[in-house]
Formats: sequence, structure tokens, C-alpha cells
Amino acid sequence: MNYSVLKKYWSVVQISWQSGFVYRFNFIMWRVRNVVQLLTLYFLWLAVSGPKESIFSYSQAALLTYVLGSSLIRAIVLSVRSIDSQVDIATGDLNNFLIKPLNYFVYWAARDIADKALNIAFAIVELVLLYLILKPPIIFPQHPSTWFLFALSVSLATALFFMFSFIISMTTFWYYQYNGWAQRFLSFVIVESLAGSLFPLDILPPLFAKILISLPTAYFIYFPMQIYLERLGDEEIATGYTVLVFWIIVLYIIGQFLWQKGLKVYAAFGR
Amino acid sequence: MLRKYFIVWLKSASLSTQSNLTQRFGAILFITGKLIRFGFFLVLLIVIGDRVSSTTGYSLNQMIIFFLLFNLLDMFGQIFFRGIYWFRQQVVTGEFDFRLTKPMSALFQALTRQTDILDLPLFILIIIYLAKNAAAFAPIPWGLFVALTLAGLVVITAVHIAVAALGVLTTEVDHTMMIYRDLSAMARVPIDIYGSSIRTFLTFIIPIGIAYTIPAKAFLGLVSIQTALISIAIAIASFFLSLILWRFALTKYSSASS
Repeated sequence: MNYSVLKKYWSVVQISWQSGFVYRFNFIMWRVRNVVQLLTLYFLWLAVSGPKESIFSYSQAALLTYVLGSSLIRAIVLSVRSIDSQVDIATGDLNNFLIKPLNYFVYWAARDIADKALNIAFAIVELVLLYLILKPPIIFPQHPSTWFLFALSVSLATALFFMFSFIISMTTFWYYQYNGWAQRFLSFVIVESLAGSLFPLDILPPLFAKILISLPTAYFIYFPMQIYLERLGDEEIATGYTVLVFWIIVLYIIGQFLWQKGLKVYAAFGR
Repeated sequence: MLRKYFIVWLKSASLSTQSNLTQRFGAILFITGKLIRFGFFLVLLIVIGDRVSSTTGYSLNQMIIFFLLFNLLDMFGQIFFRGIYWFRQQVVTGEFDFRLTKPMSALFQALTRQTDILDLPLFILIIIYLAKNAAAFAPIPWGLFVALTLAGLVVITAVHIAVAALGVLTTEVDHTMMIYRDLSAMARVPIDIYGSSIRTFLTFIIPIGIAYTIPAKAFLGLVSIQTALISIAIAIASFFLSLILWRFALTKYSSASS
């Protein structure tokens, strides 16, 4: 990728960033919603866990750190603008992109970068404010290397979720009713339930937990938070990264395959 | 008068249903998603049941009742007031002008324009479960339960009216509605588990406790007459306050974009 190509996508990042400020009230309400979601979870787990006892092998501090940390990871991993690509496909607006000299994947990745930057900036401010107000017992990693491993796992999870989300959008080529929102809604519910955004998956009954942890959705939030809380050994971390990279490659291949097949059935309805 | 409103609602509900049924596969996906979400929280409730029991004194079966009645009442808003999710579009495009000129309450049209039958399967399943297991919680004070359930529905209606009013004032509806839904999710468990300041907030500021927790407590025979009267008073007050807010919002409607 040469400089002029990079510049082109950098412009997409900049424009997307600026468009985030066009509907300011809308964006603020979106962030308020995230804070409310975080607070509802926080107070639930605060009530359920005792200050001096551990619950499901988590201390209260570990559980609350999990809740607050997963909120930040959600802002990084799960905030994607690229879900709008399904609307492009359903409405025929995809035509506008097919005739332009740009890579559709990279275009949406660039838009996602801007969206994530905006969400991360707000999420950090919110978390600092909540920390100052609620003064929760927070756990910080004891080993400096954990920060690096955590950052790496979040970066890979972001790539994995981008592939996952893109595959959901690609299904709109075949089922374009509701602008693809039926399958998107189902994917939201699955991710919300299986990614570990509500609670650590390993508090579930062992067999149930084992199945859920083996799914790619567990790598969106659960795996990075396990690394942050230093609950995994070196071998488990290495295996986790290997599986994570494996799923990224698999989902990328599936995404590209669906994109190529989808373009063949694409009829640009509504144009 | 009431007959006219019923006929209009019946017609719009029938059209919404037909529209939903034309996209059967989509409807299946939506219903599947709703069932997964419901089932997953139920599993979580069973897992944390012991902990909540020791904190609040409620048994697991009682907590399941709280969760089921929360879903039942929540679905009432989802099924009958689905129109709220289309309201912003009407305000920002100026289409709301046409609603104001019709010989029918604009608020009624805003809230009931759409009826969502996709919540109906779960709605029916929960009612069947409650009917079959009601005997286990006998004696249920049915009069009190019905009165407080109605009070809960009044609160839910009031919240939808308030959100519509805020929609007119700020053109923001969807996120406000979702913030309410996120807050109301706190009542999936009895609100007694939260600290006193949170409980006060959920009872008097945004009366989610009145809407969801009190009816469940009434079902379990755990509500005193005094609490019932206060709950009904709060429900009526919130309804009239929301109507005042709606009327105020209408005076500020600028009919932009029309």
C-alpha cells in the first residue's frame, strides 16, 4: 500500500471522525446509554458479591474490575461503524462504492478506526469519572508484561470482531429484508450473551462454560479480561492467541468468500 | 369514542401483523434472538440465585417470578407502544404534522402506530408458566396483584409518553428509549438487592420498581396495603406528569422539515 493510497483512507478516517460530531446530542445519548448499561451491571455485581468473600472464584474487586474493564473493551472491540455496510447492500447504495477506486473492506476498517477512537476517548473519560465517584476496588496487573499481552489480545479481538461483523453484513446479499437487521439483531444477542460482556463465562456450570469458552465469541471480551486479571498461565495464553489468530484467518476467508459470492447475486434493488 | 380508538388500533395492529408475517424468516430470527436473550439471563439467574437469596432472602423460585413478571410487563410496552421507535422519523421529517391534523389523539397515534407481535410467543409462554405454577405461590392476593399490575402498566405508559414528549423537544427518541430499557433491566432481579439510594431512584425518580418489582411482590403476597396505595399514587402522578410534559412539548413543536 503506497503513500497516496494510505492518504486516501486516512481522509476516510478524518471525515468519519468529523461526522461523529455532526449529531452531537445523538452521540452523547449513545454514550449515556453505555454508562447506564455499565452502572446497571456494576450495581448488580456489587450487590451479589460480598466485600470480603470470593464468589465463583472471583473476589469482589476482580468481579468489579471485570465489569469496568469489559466496558472499555466493548468500546474498543464492539463499536463498529461497518454494520452500515449491510444497509448499503440492502438498499443498493453499494453501487456507489463498486465504481470507486477503493477497497470496500479497507474503507469500512478506516471508518471503524475513527468510530473506535471516538468511543475510546469518551469511554476513558467516563471510566475515570465513575472511578472517582464510585471508588470501586480495582485490580491492576502485577506484571508489566500483562499490559502488553492485554493490549495485544484486545487488538486481535478487534480484528476478529471486524471479520465477524462483516460476515453478518455479507448475509444481507441473500436476506436483505429489514435491511439485514434481523440477522444483525440475532448476532447482537449472541455476542451480548456469549462474549462475556455481562459476566465472566467461567462462573457458569463447568460443561456450559467450557463450550462457551471454546467459541470464537469468547475472545471478544472474556479472553482479554482473563489476561488482564492474570488468571491464565503462559500455556493458556499461548493457546488462546493461537486460537484467536486461527479464527481471524478462518473468518477472513469466509468473509472474502461470501463477498465474492454475494457480488454475484447482488441485484442493486432500490436503485 | 373508545370504540373508534379500538377500531383504529385493531386496523393498525392487523397491518403490522401482516407486515411481520410477510417476512417469516426475519420474524423467526427476531424471535430466536429474543428467546436466547431470555434463556441466557434465566441461566444466569439460576447460577447467581443462591447468592441473591442470601442477600435478599428471596428463594430461587421467587426470583424467577420477578424475572418472568418483569418480562411480561416489559413486553406490554414492546407489543403495544412499538410506534415510539418510529416517532423520531415523524418529528424530523415533519410527517407528525399530518398526525396533528387528524381527528384523533396525536399521542395515541405516535405510540400505537405499530404493534409488535414478535414478542407474543414469549408473552404466551410466560403466561402459561405462571398459570400452571400459580398454585405453588398460593394464596395469591389476586385483587392486589391486578391493581398493582395495572399501576405498573400505567407507569410504563407514562414513560413512553415522556419519551415521546422528549422526542418532540429534542428530536431524540431511540437512545432515550434504550436508556429507559437498560435502566428497567435492573428490575429483572428484585430491586431490594440494590443499595438504598439506588432503590429510591428506581422507586421515585424513574419508578421502575413500581412498574416491575411491586407487581411481582404482590403476586408473592409480599405487599402491604400501605405500599400498594403509595405505588398506585406514584403511578397516577407519573401518568399525569407525563401528560403535562407532552402538552408542553407540543407547544414547542416547530414542524421542522415539513
